[in-house]
Amino acid sequence: MASNRWLTTGNYFTSYKQEQRIFLTHLDRTGFLIFLILLFVWPLVFPPSNKYMLVIDNILIAAVAVLGLNIATGFAGLISIGHAAFVGVGAYTAAFFAKTIGDSHVFLTHAWPLVILLSGFAGAFFGAVVGLPALRLKHLYLAIATLSFQMIFTWTINFMDFFDQGQTIPIARVFWFTGEVSRKEHYLFWYYAILVILILLGFMIRNLLRTRYGRCLVAVRDNDRAADAMGMHPGLTKVYAFALAGFMAGVAGALHAYLYRGVGIESFSLHESITYLAMAIVGGLGTLHGSFWGPAAIKMLDLFVENISEYAGSVLPATMNLTTALRPLSFGLVIVLFLMFEPRGIANWWRIFRSYTRLWPFRY
Amino acid sequence: MKQNKIKFISIMVSAAVIISFSCSVHAGQTYKLALSLAITGPTSDAGNPYAKGVEDYFKYVNDNKLLGDDIIECTIRDDQYKTDVTKRNFEEFLDNGIVFYLNYSTGSTLALKQDFEEEKIPVIPASFHAGNLVDSNYIFLPIASYSAQCIGLAEYVAAHHKGGGIPKAAMFIHPSAFGRGPVEDVEKAVKAGLNMEIVEVTEHGKDLDNTAMLQRFISKGVQYVITQTIQSPVATLLKDANRLGLAAKSFGEEGKLTFLGAHYTGGNDLIALAGPAAENFFWTTSYTLTSEPGPGTDMQLALAKKYGRDDKAANSHNYTNGIMAAQVAAECIIRAKAKGSKITRETLYNELLAMNGDNAFKLDTTVGPVTYSKTDHEGVDNLQLYSVQNGVFKSVGKPFSPEYSKKIK
Repeated sequence: MASNRWLTTGNYFTSYKQEQRIFLTHLDRTGFLIFLILLFVWPLVFPPSNKYMLVIDNILIAAVAVLGLNIATGFAGLISIGHAAFVGVGAYTAAFFAKTIGDSHVFLTHAWPLVILLSGFAGAFFGAVVGLPALRLKHLYLAIATLSFQMIFTWTINFMDFFDQGQTIPIARVFWFTGEVSRKEHYLFWYYAILVILILLGFMIRNLLRTRYGRCLVAVRDNDRAADAMGMHPGLTKVYAFALAGFMAGVAGALHAYLYRGVGIESFSLHESITYLAMAIVGGLGTLHGSFWGPAAIKMLDLFVENISEYAGSVLPATMNLTTALRPLSFGLVIVLFLMFEPRGIANWWRIFRSYTRLWPFRY
Repeated sequence: MKQNKIKFISIMVSAAVIISFSCSVHAGQTYKLALSLAITGPTSDAGNPYAKGVEDYFKYVNDNKLLGDDIIECTIRDDQYKTDVTKRNFEEFLDNGIVFYLNYSTGSTLALKQDFEEEKIPVIPASFHAGNLVDSNYIFLPIASYSAQCIGLAEYVAAHHKGGGIPKAAMFIHPSAFGRGPVEDVEKAVKAGLNMEIVEVTEHGKDLDNTAMLQRFISKGVQYVITQTIQSPVATLLKDANRLGLAAKSFGEEGKLTFLGAHYTGGNDLIALAGPAAENFFWTTSYTLTSEPGPGTDMQLALAKKYGRDDKAANSHNYTNGIMAAQVAAECIIRAKAKGSKITRETLYNELLAMNGDNAFKLDTTVGPVTYSKTDHEGVDNLQLYSVQNGVFKSVGKPFSPEYSKKIK
């Protein structure tokens, strides 16, 4: 039974290489492949309305951003309170091109994958710059340094004439092999584009975590002095963690700019930074798939509470003003409850579920 | 047995006839409209009564059968002043098949401008930002833009300044597109010959004390402060000026500061926030106020009473603002129906464009008629100046149209 990679239930590794493999069993790999196929097929079978497609696209973009935040905060232990600013750097890189060469320039409309990549690199650059204090600062001090970046970013954009002082800078529709992506297919097109990018980045991170650079992140998080003693460079590791987080955020920002066909400062505020942090916590800090659970949970919760608020507003007297309180209350409550009762996030529920299904019906 | 069968058939036939008749009674059409705005969150003090105004007027249209058997169904959603949420709401409204859209903030109006163009849907926002109209065919401002309002205030300053020399003014603005919009246009008006000097433009934060700024204004010889923001920072400003003894007791009092403001700076909420410090605050808008009774305000108060609104909402100029936007939308439908046109986005858009000359929409909630055309997307061109006298806003002079806002175009 031990060698059966379809049904293995225990730890039968005989080499480090085996332990590092991406999928533990063939069943895992098959299940994942089926899941991926479903992700690509379902919109064609059950086409959702634009509203829900927009919500789903948003979840995927948030997942890209939280993937980066999880690298810095979850794996490297560096609290970042300015993640939305890095997302903003990516978005404003696209806006920079729109302002410089025109929002309908072929570079923006046809070479959009390159724009997304460049936005990622811009995010990485600023991530590394902001990460530099990490060479000297730790814990709360570092958190405040990232908060400062958030404030500087917001202030700079708000006062730069070049970026229209934070007003919306438009970006034209993109082109694909089939021609211009029309309004009708806009959200579906970006669903597939974001999904492909997310899968690629997910595999990239998964593979990174299998390398010594990935293990460095975890070692520095757990004890940077011990990591130093073992020959790692904690300072550089922290800077590259920030750069990587910035890259993911930059990509997410460019995707946001293309999805919304414009960039405005409102989408990259401190509140958004806190929301990304909440997504990472609710999903599960330091877990790869927590980066997917968190955004889905928070965005769906927001939509759910919005519907409840609307219903409550129509039933209850206006003087109770319940709708004003319900959204922030539910958001805060979810964070507190997760921190108290499930600090490992939804990812832990997934782990328990998987262990249960792997063992059931007690094959060992 | 046979008799029972006949009885059964006759009952079924009668039921079918009754149902078909009752169906024809309710055979009217439903026109879907929508509004997304900040009912909660930032600027909800304006958005909340605005939403009530829209809701109540459409209820009134339906209850009084102003469209015959047809009814207006207006979905109102709270976006908490977040552009992302507004976009999501708008997509949902489009899925529902709306023919007319009411939007709210400057940020979201600018962000959705391209969508409005592509969807060819007429839009009336609650934002009077002149920039909304740039490269746009489908956005229609209900009243004169913030720029026109600030220029109107500047013209009043220039015309009524006492003492010698050029009147010196400062602009106290909101740190956003909403606040910054008019600055450039007022500066253009000054360059075009308006007899006024803008000494300083200040973007406010969330300051609780403006002493240093006010002293600086005085030291620079500033006599007038034109505000383009929301009520709470203006209230703080007025209270500080009063505390320091710097507030003018009458317009243009020498050595003191006279405060003036555009639409969202004033109204009853300002008086509630600033108390006696609001006295002599000059304010401009195109709406009629309940402190100056007339047919429009009577209708407004009756509407608020009919739908159970409290005094605060009933007397709010933002409630008037919502009613007026709904009135324009409903009027387009009424006019299109009168012509026998099918109610579509296109026909309603054409009705808006035709709203001028003899077709201008004269309504009592504003101080002038609503006029639109291919080249004019600002509804009411007239403004009324008000000032706080004994705790209420009272008219100052007659409605006017700012001259320089046309000159600088």
